[in-house]
Amino acid sequence: MTLALQLASVALLLAAGAYVVAVMDGLVGAALSGAPQPRVLRQPLERLGRRLVQQKTETEKPDRVTRVLAPALYAALAAAGLSVVPLADDWAAVDVEAGIVLWGSVEVLTVAAVFLHGWSPNSQLPLIGAYRYVAIGLSAMLVSMFVLIGVALPAQSLNIGEIVESQRSLWNVVRQPLGLPLFLVLGLSVSLRGPLDYADSADIAGGTSAESSGSERLVWQAARSAMLVSFAAMASAAFLGGHSGPWLPGPVWLLAKTTLLLAVLVVLGHLLARALPSRMMTLMWTVLLPLAFADLAIAGLGALP
Amino acid sequence: MTAIDAAFWALGLIALAAGYRVFRTDSMVRASFLLLASFVAVGAIMLLLAAEYLGFATIFMMAVEMTVMALFMVMFMMNPAGLNPMNMVHQPRLAAAAGIAAFAGLAVIPLLTDFPDRPADRQADPIAALGNELLGGSMLIFESAGVTLLATMIGAVILSSRSGRYGPSDHGSVPPGLEPGGEPAGRRPKSEQRDHSDGGGHAS
Repeated sequence: MTLALQLASVALLLAAGAYVVAVMDGLVGAALSGAPQPRVLRQPLERLGRRLVQQKTETEKPDRVTRVLAPALYAALAAAGLSVVPLADDWAAVDVEAGIVLWGSVEVLTVAAVFLHGWSPNSQLPLIGAYRYVAIGLSAMLVSMFVLIGVALPAQSLNIGEIVESQRSLWNVVRQPLGLPLFLVLGLSVSLRGPLDYADSADIAGGTSAESSGSERLVWQAARSAMLVSFAAMASAAFLGGHSGPWLPGPVWLLAKTTLLLAVLVVLGHLLARALPSRMMTLMWTVLLPLAFADLAIAGLGALP
Repeated sequence: MTAIDAAFWALGLIALAAGYRVFRTDSMVRASFLLLASFVAVGAIMLLLAAEYLGFATIFMMAVEMTVMALFMVMFMMNPAGLNPMNMVHQPRLAAAAGIAAFAGLAVIPLLTDFPDRPADRQADPIAALGNELLGGSMLIFESAGVTLLATMIGAVILSSRSGRYGPSDHGSVPPGLEPGGEPAGRRPKSEQRDHSDGGGHAS
């Protein structure tokens, strides 16, 4: 019974969160461009309706099974990632000891899902998007792995609940100041957003989504937003103390912190420009990865008895 | 049959079927990701055995490896998108015989072994035990194996990259001439060109 309730709340959080992300995108875009945006609440729903009745595009000799399964895999990964985050004390849908490692597999399988989404239509621009994304996405994932090891150190556990518990006195965002900024890079990367959207960006005409339309595209876009929600919840559990906080009940704190991180990520996605893939690759390996090592060193020194 | 038994049989079937399909498909990308599906099923079986860290780590590592492998295979082969059908097997008869022999050999082991009945303590922490094993008693073996593998990889890259497309790369790689002993074909590097104009850049 509890498990059903927990799984339902994961699904509800992802759906509601994806809508909130779409509204935030509209609001931030309007605020930055200075244009009035009167129907910002309705627009995501209108887009959804339009996708549902849209014709499906066909390509020459696609891999049909993979084409349908890749968006579904992406959405499922978002759900899997969120399922290990405790919504309240001891209240995670999947309370596994190695929760951080599960999240790591979610990150990697996301790279695989995006690659397959770009590969399966058998078309040029999607394949270019897929290739670019794997190079950048794997680098961002590597950076995040060291950051996550740093988070597990003070908790002496790979369990997300234990990691939240270890931040009762001091949040990890203070204890390891480099951690959250580096982890946010991964958030932009796993949700194909703004400066790290090397898969679906406009410079290659929509990249891996260039050939997708209709319900397939709807699922893919919704999964991108859902993955951002899943990431924000994980980041708030790993760095902002998750569901812990005074006065209010746990889920309210988690929701508040997740919404705050979502807003930060959406604004960053709109404000930061996308660099050439080669320059981003250099930045990842020569600046961000050494910073991640420094973060791990700080975490290690802090965890010494 | 409990739910765990049912999950074991289902996952085992997925692992076998996906593993079989690896050798029946005609695309490198499909083969790589079918192999990934097979490994994910094996990782899930490890989760059923309560080896959480090893199970997730298997899924994690295999996802990275198969993605990178698919990419590099497609990059280095003549079939850019990996969707054009191509023959993926060599010496199929010998390989099939070797595969069946290996499967039979491995299958005999669990059937003939008398496994001890020693249920693990429910309070045991396998992750901590694994960490203590890898970084405690077996640290020297573990670390030397890791460094050896890294050195092997770097050595393999250096050895394989020496023979460039047009001869040994440390001799300066030049394409062959259009006629025997003639001038190297193709465009020459900029430094060798007599014309020192600004090349293709924008006028300053």
